[in-house]
Parts: sequence; C-alpha cells; structure tokens
Amino acid sequence: MLNAPWYSAKTAANVCAKHPLVDVVGHSRGRALLVHIVLCMGLVFMLSPIVVIVASSTHFTSTLQQQGLQWLPSNQAIQNYSLIFTFEAGFSDQITPLGMLKNSLIVATSVATLTTILSLLTAYAIVFFRMPGKQIVFWFVLVTLLFPLESRFVNTYSVTASLGLINTHIGIILPVLAAALGTFFFRQYFLTLPKELIEAAILDGAGPLRFLKDIIVPLSVSRAGAIFVIAFMIGWNQYLWPLMISTDDSLYTLVRGIRLLGQESGPGMALVVITMLPPFLLLLAFQKWFFKSLAAH
Amino acid sequence: MSKVQLTNVKKTYPNGAVAVRGVDMEIQSGEFIVFVGPSGCGKSTLLRMVAGLESITDGQIMIDDQLMNDISPADRDVAMVFQNYALYPHMTVRGNMSYGLKNRGMPKEEINQRVSDAAKMLRIGDFLDRQPNELSGGQRQRVAMGRAIVREPKVFLFDEPLSNLDAKLRVQMRIEIKRLQRRMNVTSIYVTHDQTEAMTLADRLAVINDGKIEQMGTPIDLYNDPATLFVASFIGSPQVNLLPATFDGQHLISGDVKLTGFTDLPVSTDLVLGIRPDELHLDDGGQFPMRVDIVEQHGSDNLIYGGILGAMNEGEEETEFCFKAGQDMLPDLESTLMLGFNAERAMVFSKDSGERLR
Repeated sequence: MLNAPWYSAKTAANVCAKHPLVDVVGHSRGRALLVHIVLCMGLVFMLSPIVVIVASSTHFTSTLQQQGLQWLPSNQAIQNYSLIFTFEAGFSDQITPLGMLKNSLIVATSVATLTTILSLLTAYAIVFFRMPGKQIVFWFVLVTLLFPLESRFVNTYSVTASLGLINTHIGIILPVLAAALGTFFFRQYFLTLPKELIEAAILDGAGPLRFLKDIIVPLSVSRAGAIFVIAFMIGWNQYLWPLMISTDDSLYTLVRGIRLLGQESGPGMALVVITMLPPFLLLLAFQKWFFKSLAAH
Repeated sequence: MSKVQLTNVKKTYPNGAVAVRGVDMEIQSGEFIVFVGPSGCGKSTLLRMVAGLESITDGQIMIDDQLMNDISPADRDVAMVFQNYALYPHMTVRGNMSYGLKNRGMPKEEINQRVSDAAKMLRIGDFLDRQPNELSGGQRQRVAMGRAIVREPKVFLFDEPLSNLDAKLRVQMRIEIKRLQRRMNVTSIYVTHDQTEAMTLADRLAVINDGKIEQMGTPIDLYNDPATLFVASFIGSPQVNLLPATFDGQHLISGDVKLTGFTDLPVSTDLVLGIRPDELHLDDGGQFPMRVDIVEQHGSDNLIYGGILGAMNEGEEETEFCFKAGQDMLPDLESTLMLGFNAERAMVFSKDSGERLR
C-alpha cells in the first residue's frame, strides 16, 4: 500500500492528524502501550537473573543445593560475602579473590585499551589514507566477525604456544584484540566527517599524525568511550580462552574463579555479584558517552 | 602580493572523466578573480588544483614564478574558505584560527596578535572562546575567513563560501568579502555558480563551461561583449532573450518575424539572436508582438514575460522574451505589446558553435 502512488506522505499526515488517539509526535496511544509492554517484558527478562543471583547470594549453600536458586533474600549475606575476603584456593599455587580481581582488571583493561586504540588506528588508515586495496582490507577485518575466538581455538592456541605466551597475561589478551566491531564503528563515524575537514587541516599544515592527534582523537572521544566499555566487557567475560591458555592457578580471573567457590553455593553467588560489579560501575561512569555516541547513529 | 599563473592546466580523473581541458590564465598580484559556471563545469576542481588538493594531470601552476605542481598544499602558502566552513568542531574560534599558525611553529604572542587583529576586522572578537556549534551560519563563515586571514597567505581561495547562507546575509557577506580583499590586497580566486556574486565581486571574471574558459574579462566587458552564446546567456540577470533565426541576405527571419538592420551574416545557417531585456522598448512599429503572460513587479522596475507571436520555436517550446520596463508599466495579461529594439546593440550567434558573429 505504501508504494501506491496515491498514498503520499501528505495523506498519511492528514490521517494521523485527524485520528483522536494520536499525540503530537504522531504515535497512537495504543502503539505506545504496546511499546511499553514489550519494553517491560524485556526488562523482566534481563533483570530476573540478576535478582536471582543477588537473592541467592544471601542463602546457605545447603538451601541452594537442596531447593535450587532463590528469588527472595535471606540472612546469610554477611557470612557469604566475608568469606570471599578470606578465601584461598589452588592446586600448585594459591589464588585469592583479590588476586583474581587483579587478573581480571589487567586482562579487561588491556583488552579495552588496546582494542580501542587498534580499532581507531585501523579505521583511520582505512578511511583517510589513499592505499591500494583498502576496501579489501576492510572486508577482511569485517570477516573476522564470522570467526569468533571459539571457532579458531586450535590454531590460535598453537600460535600462542609457539610465541611462548602460555601462562601469561599477554597470552590471554592478544587473541581477543581482533575486534572488527570497533573498526567498523569508527569507520562509519569517520565517513560522516566532511572531507573539507581534512582538507582544511592539510592547508593548515597538519600531517597525518597531527590530524590524528588534534582532530580525529578529540572528535572520537565519546565513541572511543563506548568501544572501551564494550571491549572491557568482552575482556572481563573471557572464560574459555583463559581456561585453555593458562594452567597456573595464579592466572585465574574472577569469571573463571567462581568455580573454585562452587556454582551452587552462597559464597559462590556472592562472588558472582562481586564479579558483575566492575563492568556495571564502568558502564555507569561511561554512560553519558556511551549513549551519546550510540544515539548519534 | 603574488601573481598566479596557470599554463595549459588539465585534469583527467582515473576513470577517464575530464574535468579541466587546458586552462591558461594569468592572475595579477592583488587581483580578485571569480570562476563562474554551472555546476560540474570544473571550476571547483580548478580552484582545488591551485590549492593542491587535486593533482594536476598536465600543465603548470605557478605562484610567484615558482612551480607549484609538486608542492604540498601546506607549503603553497594559500588559504582556503570552504562552502561548509570546515571548522574544527571541537576547537574554539580562537583554536580554529590559530591552528594553522601553531602548526607552523609561530611564537604565541604573534599568534595572539594576529588572531585578535583578524577577529577585530571580522567583528568576531566576542566569540573567540565559543565553539563553532554555538555560532550562527554567518558567524561561522566569518571564523572560516578569519582562519584564512591570520595566515596572511599569498593567495586566498574561496570555494562557494556564501552558498550556505540566506539571501540577505549573502549580500551582506559579499560586500564584506570585497571590502576585506580590497583592504588586504591579497590575490584571490573565488568560485561561485551565482552570476550576481560573480559580477559584483570580480575584478575579472572567468566564465567556465565544460572544463574550458569560455571567456575572461571584466564583468562589464563580459556583459556588454560576450564572446559566445554561453557567456551571453550565463551573464546578466534577467537572462538575455534568445530567438532562433536564419539570415536571407537582407533580413533576419524567425518564423513570421522579419528583422531588418542586419548585414554580413552567413546565409542558411542556424543563428540565434540575443537581446538583453533592457534593450527592448515599447514601439508601435516594433517587430516583436509579445503576448503578456506574467508581470513580475520588482519595485523599481517590472519584468514582463511572454511569448513572441509568430516567432520560430525551439522544438516544442514557444520562444519567450523578458522585457524590462519601469514600475508604471502594467499591461493586462494576455494583451499584446509591440516591442522594438536597437539592431546595433543586438547580438547574433551561430547556433551550432555558439560563436558570436556580431
């Protein structure tokens, strides 16, 4: 119907204007209600696991093992959470939750920082430099989206092993860095910049490095913030790869270390809550940038 | 004070499209040159080649007798004002204006001095610490000019700088640009598709069509004495009246209209007669019977548009004339006016080549 020549935007506007249940923006109240129902369902869907985890972290381990995860809080919060600070485990060497937190922070911060820098530089090169085959390079970068780390474990493992990076932080971090998403995100933004901007900078005597430092980086800060947050979460949530590449207990990250306290135990649930906190706080801190840059698209 | 010289400058894009087909031009020191032409004629490309933003396929560009072909844009000592201003959005006005100087390692005191001088000249002193998104279009354009002025370049390049402004502001800025250029006496090249802007700003105009210079000269020379049909129809507002015609040895004939006063024209070739709207006058014995279609009242004068009865038509379209008359002249619509003209002042072009025959 929309393609019919008689159905112009003008007729649509007239119909809407005459409809009694249409507000100024042109959405009917019925539609707004539907939108809210869908949003509320999404909210319940996404929040309930968190509620269950937080509630369960305040129960006896025995309750959790006998009755499963709990929806309502109990009175074991202090005991469960304080255990985390005294806990120590390991086979060959010892690791504490604080040590795991340190490992997680090293991995996630490095992944976030390096991914952001690499994506920005790659997109900068692809968009602003005249080089042969840059479109092909870009598509190769995009294709990596089709091959997540899990699908190339064997090869990645052998490369990492041959570089002697087993049981090192770098070994955990490096293979996670190839994030096409960030490159794509920056590229799309750079393409929206008027080409006169770079020409003005050229006439103002700025070379490629100055243009990057003085124009591109300051303009990309909010987007870089968003990529940083996303990459931080990717790094933070790594489970399988650190498990494969590190055998030392001292390299346990929080996500991996939950197992040591037991998945169906009160202290284990308390550690899950602690594990969720840093990315959450980071998102809170970056949310202004995060939403600003995402909303711009 | 710098001279710019273009010698047989050509530009062909890698896909084979030809943008500039060999341009020769000598721009004197301090001269204000305007490139004017329809969109896609190559005028912006030519300007960008002078700036160094486009490579040169063939020919030479010299600034002050120094070959510029392979010199980077930054080292040509030219400054450019862009149509969309191209201000750095995250820098203040001061930052925008001083960026080029800072990159060239100029001492801070001198930068500040130049920025404040230029800001005073452009009346943007109050906005120096604002960001571009806090400024109006006109103010942004001033900042863009300020950024060019502080550089004190050998050549100013303007790429349709007023196209994004509203009509009133455009006229205001036009006068300001002219005043500024006079005061600073810097060689300037200005690109526009607006013939009024071109006429009013230029010391000399280059009318560009299809990658070639059709004609170059002072605005009034081009108006009075166009070399080609293209220049005649491009320069002048309202546009020149054009009438398809042939010559029989004594008369210029267009359908039923027979015009005297013409000699020495090629017989049996297609010709085009050009008469400026202000060269027409009311004349009971005139040769053009015009049916009045529209009367536009512009205040001081009226523009009367209508078809010429009996004239030869160009394809399907009726030959229409515009007659510039005083404000008292208000004929009824559909009435017929008899118009006369001075054959001495009329122009005749060859239809095929566009060349002016008299």
